[in-house]
Amino acid sequence: MSAEYIISQLINGLRLGSVYAIVAVGYSIVYGILRLINFAHGDIMTIGVYIMLLFMTSTGMPLWSVIVVSVLVSVIVGVLIERFAYRPLRSAGEEATLISSLAVSTLLQNLLQMIFSPQKKAFYLPDFFTQQHQFGIVKLSTMNILTFAAVIIMVIALTLVVQKTKIGTAMRACSENLDASRLMGIKPNQVIVFAFAVGSGLAALAGLMLAGEYKTIDPLMGFVPGLKAFCAAVVGGIGSLYGAVAGGLVIGVAEMLFAGLMPTSVTAYRDAFVFVVLIVVLLFWPNGIFGRSEGRRS
Amino acid sequence: MKKKITKLLVLALAGAMVFSLAACSNSADTNSPAPSGTGDGGSAAVTGDTINVGALFNITGGQASLDEPGYRAFQLYFDELNAAGGINGRQIKVVSYDGKTDQTTCATNTTKLIDVDNVVAIGGLSDSNYAFSAGNVAQAAEVPFVFSGATTPSLNDIGNYVFLTAFGDDTCAYAAADYVTNELGLTKVYMLVDQSMDFTTTLARCFQERLEANGGEIVMTDNYMNKDPDFSAQIDRFLNDSKGAEILFFSSVPDDIGTIVKQYRDKGVTLPFISGDGADTPLLMEVGGEAAEGTLVSTHCSFENQDPVVQDFVTLYTETQGTAPENAFAALGYDCAHVIATAIEMCGDDVTPANVRDNLEKIQDLRCVTGTISYTAESHVPQKSATILEVQDGAFAFVAELNP
Repeated sequence: MSAEYIISQLINGLRLGSVYAIVAVGYSIVYGILRLINFAHGDIMTIGVYIMLLFMTSTGMPLWSVIVVSVLVSVIVGVLIERFAYRPLRSAGEEATLISSLAVSTLLQNLLQMIFSPQKKAFYLPDFFTQQHQFGIVKLSTMNILTFAAVIIMVIALTLVVQKTKIGTAMRACSENLDASRLMGIKPNQVIVFAFAVGSGLAALAGLMLAGEYKTIDPLMGFVPGLKAFCAAVVGGIGSLYGAVAGGLVIGVAEMLFAGLMPTSVTAYRDAFVFVVLIVVLLFWPNGIFGRSEGRRS
Repeated sequence: MKKKITKLLVLALAGAMVFSLAACSNSADTNSPAPSGTGDGGSAAVTGDTINVGALFNITGGQASLDEPGYRAFQLYFDELNAAGGINGRQIKVVSYDGKTDQTTCATNTTKLIDVDNVVAIGGLSDSNYAFSAGNVAQAAEVPFVFSGATTPSLNDIGNYVFLTAFGDDTCAYAAADYVTNELGLTKVYMLVDQSMDFTTTLARCFQERLEANGGEIVMTDNYMNKDPDFSAQIDRFLNDSKGAEILFFSSVPDDIGTIVKQYRDKGVTLPFISGDGADTPLLMEVGGEAAEGTLVSTHCSFENQDPVVQDFVTLYTETQGTAPENAFAALGYDCAHVIATAIEMCGDDVTPANVRDNLEKIQDLRCVTGTISYTAESHVPQKSATILEVQDGAFAFVAELNP
């Protein structure tokens, strides 16, 4: 097994892990504030991708503007979901909103199937994105480079927002203690809407990266990656920004190295392997790698 | 805190389970054919002037690209038949349900067709996973089920009430293997197999069997699971060491084939590709685009065949459906209806599920679009020839007809 081969699988893993990381961040910031696992998050990703496909095929808009539109639509959908499916249930407890998020996910999947048909559809990005570049023994496609860049930019931008801005400070306060923040004059609803907006926008971008790699999209495509991204968020320590990114990369790389380096007789079970990784990590770090144990919330 | 995380995880996993079930069943579909009749509360299927025939196809979900054309052709056959006066002066009412690409739904809807709608026979299903679940129900209730496109030879073992319209996987796979060794003169094959379906694993096994008998060799087998569209690990493994492979055999369901072909070509694999029946779906060209060019498919029939039976079907389908037949499964749906109608006609006035079954078994040399169908008491799997197609300029072109 050559170093070149291991590196190529490592890059596959980092690429996949980056997508998980971006989705996991969305899970994590929402969880941080609301203690809600938003199962519809993966489906927001699918919505973003379908909006992109719709605008790319029906209008001659340039790709960058299509991406902007799709991110905006996803943000709106994410915020609407929060407003109508989660906010009314917030006083009913975490379990109620969790169930509601499952319902929203089913609703979105079926809506997409009704509108766009359950068939897979081709999703092509311009050749520019699939071009392969050779750096020594490392081979990267343009899409790979953009994906890695997106993760780095996302981490820097979110760090700045969380540390330096007013809304970021409010977010940190809310994730410490929602009720106390309210007493301090923070409007939790604004913070929550902001968290959903950021998460949904990021999900749309992650969807683009996934679809660009797979070349096909279907109405159920977001669910399994969403589930794995959720695992990533848990592995990294749910509620933690860096944890989500680290967890995403760990899960992605573990999955791809398993698929690439293990004998082919077992590689078909890579999804199972991801969940085994989750269990093993939680056995040793019950709060995830970056998670810290917190006081019980009242 | 630990308790909290555990609680949440339990909830989350429970949620995930509920959800994956929900995801499989793809419930909402406005186009799913509604039952066209409700029977009449438990009396016989044959009520005066109409005979009820069941249609069970996966109109939604992963099988839709095969079952949807199959269902429309099935319905088309009976529409034509009814317009021409029906069978022995009686009209046929097709009662249809959507199997939703879900085994449980297929089984419950079979029960519904039998118990509520009192059908004399059921047709449909292009994939063996669903055929097994529906077929066992029909067998237990002793109502004949004719599968339109399912091909696993062991379906025959369900019992004497199930019949296949299509050839068995062995025929399809043997034809592909023969074509590789005898026509192309290639011996070293790489194989990618979907491990989650009976159809794909059987196809792969039969292909390997025949290839080895022909002096060929599978140099490498790689796997994936249905619904995982990420093939980068498999492709890099192949690119790293192709072990001298000269051609790639993809044993996949129709939903995946376009994605596989596209991803392998984009990563720089230039060797020829071959696949089994089901790969002749428009999805191959839609998703694969340029990358699909040259892909070989071993399947049931070619619409380029100038036989009038085939051409009449193509014309009829094109005129009524507004599109040329999408793939061989349209023809199989039509043939499935043809087989059922023939057996009902042979029953004369005494149309009961048991009589229909007995007469199905007597069908000999019935000329259909996808070949000639004969059943024997031992085997309800027709012996037919297989056709090799190649993607040329975005369409399937006839290459060879093989009788393995």
